[in-house]
Amino acid sequence: MFVGKDIERLDALEKVMGRGVFAGDLTMEGMLFGVLIRSDKFHAKIRSIDAVDALSTPGVVRILTHRDIPGRNGFGIIKKDQPYFAEEHVRFPGEPVLMVIALSERIAREAASKVRIEWEEIAPVLDPFEAANSKVSIHKGGNLLCHKRVLKGDVNRGKEESDVIVERTYSTQRADHVFLECEAGIGYPDPSGRIVVISSTQNIHYKQKEVSQLLALPEDKIRIIQAATGGGFGGKLDVTVEGYAALGAFYTNRPVMVRYTREESMLANTKRHPLYMSYRTGAKKDGMLTFVEAKIVGDTGAYASYGEVVALRAAVHATGPYQVPNVHVESSMYFTNNPVCGAMRGFGIPQTAFAHESQMDLLAEGLNMDLLEIRKINALRKGSTTATGQVLSHSVGFYDTLKCVEPAWKSRNKKDNKGFGLGCMFYGIGNTGVPNPSGCHLTLNPEGKVTFHLGACDIGQGSDTALTQILLETLGIEKDSLELLKGDSDITRDAGSSSASRQTYITGRAVYEAGKKLRSYLEEKGIKKGRPLREICGEASRGGRIVFEGYFDPPTTSLDPDTGRGVPYATYAFATHMTEVEVDRSTHTCKVKKVHAAHDVGKAINPSSTRGQIYGGIAMGIGLALMEEFIPLKSRSLYTYYIPTSMDMPSVETYLVEDEEPTGPYGAKGVGEPALIPQAASIMNAIKDAAGVRGYELPCNFERLCLLAQRDKK
Amino acid sequence: MHRISFNLNGETTETEVEDYSTLMEMLREKFSLLSLKEGCGIGECGACTVLLNEKPVYACLTLAVKADGCDIKTAEYLSKGSEIHPLQKSFIKAGAVQCGYCTPGMLMSAYALLKNEEKPTDEMIREGISGNLCRCTGYIQIVEAVRDAAKI
Repeated sequence: MFVGKDIERLDALEKVMGRGVFAGDLTMEGMLFGVLIRSDKFHAKIRSIDAVDALSTPGVVRILTHRDIPGRNGFGIIKKDQPYFAEEHVRFPGEPVLMVIALSERIAREAASKVRIEWEEIAPVLDPFEAANSKVSIHKGGNLLCHKRVLKGDVNRGKEESDVIVERTYSTQRADHVFLECEAGIGYPDPSGRIVVISSTQNIHYKQKEVSQLLALPEDKIRIIQAATGGGFGGKLDVTVEGYAALGAFYTNRPVMVRYTREESMLANTKRHPLYMSYRTGAKKDGMLTFVEAKIVGDTGAYASYGEVVALRAAVHATGPYQVPNVHVESSMYFTNNPVCGAMRGFGIPQTAFAHESQMDLLAEGLNMDLLEIRKINALRKGSTTATGQVLSHSVGFYDTLKCVEPAWKSRNKKDNKGFGLGCMFYGIGNTGVPNPSGCHLTLNPEGKVTFHLGACDIGQGSDTALTQILLETLGIEKDSLELLKGDSDITRDAGSSSASRQTYITGRAVYEAGKKLRSYLEEKGIKKGRPLREICGEASRGGRIVFEGYFDPPTTSLDPDTGRGVPYATYAFATHMTEVEVDRSTHTCKVKKVHAAHDVGKAINPSSTRGQIYGGIAMGIGLALMEEFIPLKSRSLYTYYIPTSMDMPSVETYLVEDEEPTGPYGAKGVGEPALIPQAASIMNAIKDAAGVRGYELPCNFERLCLLAQRDKK
Repeated sequence: MHRISFNLNGETTETEVEDYSTLMEMLREKFSLLSLKEGCGIGECGACTVLLNEKPVYACLTLAVKADGCDIKTAEYLSKGSEIHPLQKSFIKAGAVQCGYCTPGMLMSAYALLKNEEKPTDEMIREGISGNLCRCTGYIQIVEAVRDAAKI
């Protein structure tokens, strides 16, 4: 009735009318504005701060530094190592040092420009190889954040058995999320003395915990509410403005708005990790892979953020969606004085996909095999064992995605400057080898409706609509009989973060579980015998509050720290993209003309929305392959950092494979990140086909294409 | 301060603005027209697109004083009460809205295009919205929405 249907998005009407309330649109009586003053140094000691002129500017209410923090001056998803305000040192350009709070944004900015900071510069460490050997230690514990390993079989035996071995090194860039809405939030004290923050976020319950630690207040004294959120892509998972807005409200007892300009967002926001990946891959004459050996080195910037997750995910997915008997992956992440790298759509796997998909093409070339054929031969399928030793027993639709693009692949017409490339991927849904639960609950209200309490953050991907579809399907009731209450830590259970493509699968299953409980209750009360829902709800709400809870934690195991063995994810999504490009050899530009995108999503709860994710992922993949590169202090705004426009988009054919996941709601898995992951890889392979040159660095912008062409001539 | 008068979403109005005020500041702060969004403030993203004498402009780069004697339309103009414009309807139907931050500006560029071109080709639609960045949709369902609206 609802699942598998193109139900219109719940929030679309208010958004087309321009009535979507984003955090920066809010106004409150007596509202003040907070503006941060940041370091413009990569690495320095703070000698002195002179804020006298700033403080005496008319309209300035207060200036806050690390000394004003009542609780912990540190946040981070795993390690709480990133300070809200620098204490003695700054470790990257953009690190906050203090905040000016004033009557207006204009005054706050004017005052901020009067703050004088005297620095003692320290030699910065700017790449991870330098970090590994440098005498300069960015943190007390040294420059290594983490080292991850995945071992399977015997790589030396794999080498002996190989008829062809390909060895190459790949590198990728730092990238910015460029969500259209920059970070924004407002903090205020409520009448009961609690601190409330309304912000643009991917994760309300996590931020409640961080703000509680910052202010040294119990969690129940903190309330986080999600405003309409203008995109996230991982960049609104870490604490952004929430801590500053909360601290401002705590000290001034008034509402404090903190909203970043694009320039501030680009300084402050976490980035995609640059990875350096050295691969050796072998195959037999018949195309069967014999081994993968990979050494991955990443630059996590000044603080940990999601660096450990990216290192681990890159290692676990390093083979790509193929059966490989012998695997040895070493993945290290180093601190540098670059901007902090965190979560960004794909968590390291768009990077490794570029490497493993280039390797597949190189092997096929060495064996004189068809590029699709080598992927089909090696494809993970039901019964395959992954690099971590996990046996895939269900929902492995990878081969079907290859079959989807096969007709287009076989009928491709290679000519002139046109070329075609393939990119494939698999992606574990949810967090890696750790408990990753979601909860939700349902109540019945006196007006005769079911109230859906949802803690998952819809950041534009459409989770509110998809999860509502799952609930309506389970309950068998009409849309009008449901009231959605969401994104408020006071009235919802923790549904985890909107990341790792996990909301449809994990929260979706929790919603299904809650729905099933309520469904039995309604049946017990006679709904099937024609008793109206209105009446049942009315009766139930008079007799006290009844709560129907849903909870799901996907069945995973932790990974062995020495070998990486275990079951990191309960399920995987799979995809194949086939991309056609045209390379202009005089201007060294590449235009993406057409993409065939096949995705095993388990079940498309909302096919239109699923396609929307795929189109958006392709756009971001084009940016990653051809244009986006964040250079600290040079990429200041959208005039020095380009993202794809409508003119850069190809036509796209989508194919939805639905190999249902038994633990997912109605078989659903996830698609948000899979949509992006294979795109850059397929473009790079297509460029090789079109122009005869293979790029090993992203982005392959016109400067790099020009260099490749020049080298080719020599 | 300058006293200026103009037609805003069909009604004649006047106000006082500083010589440094932008059209965006004036419309958001003095008229609470919150459909205009700031995505960059430097005329790159198009989230603040409004029509000045029927032509799309970036309100962040336009000085408020320029509005004097002009006709201004914002996304709020497109709906009357709960009655929405066919373009808005087709945006909803085609799935052209994800996070929605670019949507009002995108709608105004599309509206201006359809005023001048009754039956635009896909290429013309792509060009017509090329000054509006969207990070979520990959533009494809937006182009579909504009194409569908042109058929009505």
